[in-house]
Amino acid sequence: MSLSEFWDFLVLGVVLGSLYAVIAIGYTLVYGVLQLLNFAHSEVFMFGGYGGLLALTALIPETTPSGMNSVLYVAIGMLAGAALGGAVAFGLERVAYRPLRRHNAPRLVFLITAIGASFFLYNLAGKLFGRNALPMPAMYENGTALTVFGAELTVTQLLILVSAVAMMVLLDYVVNRTKMGSGIRAVAQDPEVAALMGVDIDKVVSRTFVLGGLLGGAAGFLFGTNSQVWYTMGFLPGITAFAAAVLGGIGNVRGAMLGGLVLGVVETMTVGLWGDDWRYVGAFVVLVLVLMVRPTGILGERLGRTA
Amino acid sequence: MLNKTIVKLAIPMAVGALALTGCGGGDSGSGGDVYKIAFQGPLSGDNVQLGQNMENGIQLAIEQANASGDLDFKIEYVPADDQGLPDKATAAAQKAIDDTDVVAVIGPAFSGPADTAAEVYGAAGLAAVSASATRPDLTTKGYETFLRAVPNDSSQGAGMAKYLTSKLKVEKVVVVDDKTDYGIGLADVAEKSLKDAGVDVVRQSVPQKTPDYSAAAKNVVKNKPDALIYAGYYQDAGPFAKKLKEAGFDGVAMSDDGTNDQQFIELAGDASDGWLLTCACTDATQEEATKKFAADYEKKYKQAPGTYSPESFDVTNMIIEEIKKLHEEGGVERQALVDALRGVKYKGLTKEFSFDDKGEFTNQTVYLYQVKGDSIEYQGSVDDLVG
Repeated sequence: MSLSEFWDFLVLGVVLGSLYAVIAIGYTLVYGVLQLLNFAHSEVFMFGGYGGLLALTALIPETTPSGMNSVLYVAIGMLAGAALGGAVAFGLERVAYRPLRRHNAPRLVFLITAIGASFFLYNLAGKLFGRNALPMPAMYENGTALTVFGAELTVTQLLILVSAVAMMVLLDYVVNRTKMGSGIRAVAQDPEVAALMGVDIDKVVSRTFVLGGLLGGAAGFLFGTNSQVWYTMGFLPGITAFAAAVLGGIGNVRGAMLGGLVLGVVETMTVGLWGDDWRYVGAFVVLVLVLMVRPTGILGERLGRTA
Repeated sequence: MLNKTIVKLAIPMAVGALALTGCGGGDSGSGGDVYKIAFQGPLSGDNVQLGQNMENGIQLAIEQANASGDLDFKIEYVPADDQGLPDKATAAAQKAIDDTDVVAVIGPAFSGPADTAAEVYGAAGLAAVSASATRPDLTTKGYETFLRAVPNDSSQGAGMAKYLTSKLKVEKVVVVDDKTDYGIGLADVAEKSLKDAGVDVVRQSVPQKTPDYSAAAKNVVKNKPDALIYAGYYQDAGPFAKKLKEAGFDGVAMSDDGTNDQQFIELAGDASDGWLLTCACTDATQEEATKKFAADYEKKYKQAPGTYSPESFDVTNMIIEEIKKLHEEGGVERQALVDALRGVKYKGLTKEFSFDDKGEFTNQTVYLYQVKGDSIEYQGSVDDLVG
């Protein structure tokens, strides 16, 4: 691999990794407060893609918008994706998980419910939106936006990168600097004491799901813009993002971001070196190696403190 | 309150049940024989469009045959959905087999499911005539009732290579498969034919549903090929074409009958412009013989016939004709129909149908299409184009 190819693939890897990072946050937040592996998060992501797609299909004009109009439509798509993602995550928590918490169901029941909810949601999407993949309507002319070390970044890639970083910075602020964030961290540390201190656990859990859902939905919109939208599109990115959350230290928000970036770069580099059939081999070898040395992930577990 | 609701529900249900039994009685009372033709293919799942193209062709043929008045029996249609997946194929085949009125199956539509289900059909003595499963080795495995009514991928792969080498005189080609049975089989043949013609070939694999095709596109471009062959389906060819354009690919792009669908243009947008697509299928709206079919199809389904719609229509009519002959001779048995179909000589709209002793199709013509703007335009048969 020549140096210029190295930069090419590195840039692609960072773009993909930033998407993984945003999805991974959804897994890690929920794990932090509930110790639940919410496998239905990949479907929240998928619905985000459809949210953006439906809003844009309804609103966008025949000719490809340009200038400020492009910005407007991107914003509409992203907000619609985030809104539908948040709504699905909210509903998921209410319908699937809250009744289980009421009955103090064992951990395994939560896991199976998560898988069941995932099946239900993607088949529902297949019924509602059809099983053919759909293209995201063009919001701008997708040419080269800028060149970094000889690697060309398209408008879409730049959009993904910028919005993913913005979302991560915003989320980091929310978790560490706001009242809602301290609620989330308190429940993650010790739910019983948090409840005694007057934290409404149900509310915090619900908000955590919505927060993860907003990010997951926006990521679904970005992913759909980069490729296309279809009813099982959540599966592979979902699994990879879950691995990213584990790699960074599940329950740890900054760990999820780091893990996502690392996996995105490793995957894409592997593809550049050995071809696409080795994509997940490279990624999961790195995952296993890291977990052998640091079983709790790169930055360690738990949202509040290490367990 | 509760009782009222039950009564409210119970009355229409009872009426419905009566109506149903009424219908059943009427049917058997008329005494007409009913033969069923099943279709096994993707009627849900990711490649549903390809399955629907065929299902529409089959249903149109059945409807016209029943309405024609030539038959003193009735043909009915039975769907057997395998989602195009090998692990769903056996269950779908069993559904067709268990229905004792089913005398022949069209399909399995895809090669992977065909390989799984052909044995089951063989054991049941039920004819399985696929109008689209093109993987070469399907007819070399000794499946007893499997017939292939379409040129196989050896012809398609060889046709691709022939056009690229003889017509376009390319020197370096990247061949990409999608890791499916179909894609690998086709890519193998294309690679071999190109190498035999002295062309430099780089072989790559990009599994279906790869989350990001940009790295794959970079891998193609960095080899600086004159041409690319993508062996796979439209759902992946769409985003791949987009990323190839972004990566600055400027060679000839070519794909296969799995990509040869309007959906490809929908998904890839203007990145699909100029793509060459091969297919063992003819364009119903272009050939003189199939224009009436195309018009009937459009009238019924409000869309133009898709890939393999006319071929499915032909195969259905071929089967109906054999059923008719057997019916006149006394009765239609599954095994008798298999034997009849093996020896068939049928002139359909699209081509002549006949099979060799392995169940392989004897007519191996491959056709070329090209994406131009918003439509896939028919170019003619590869042999004619190369000249």
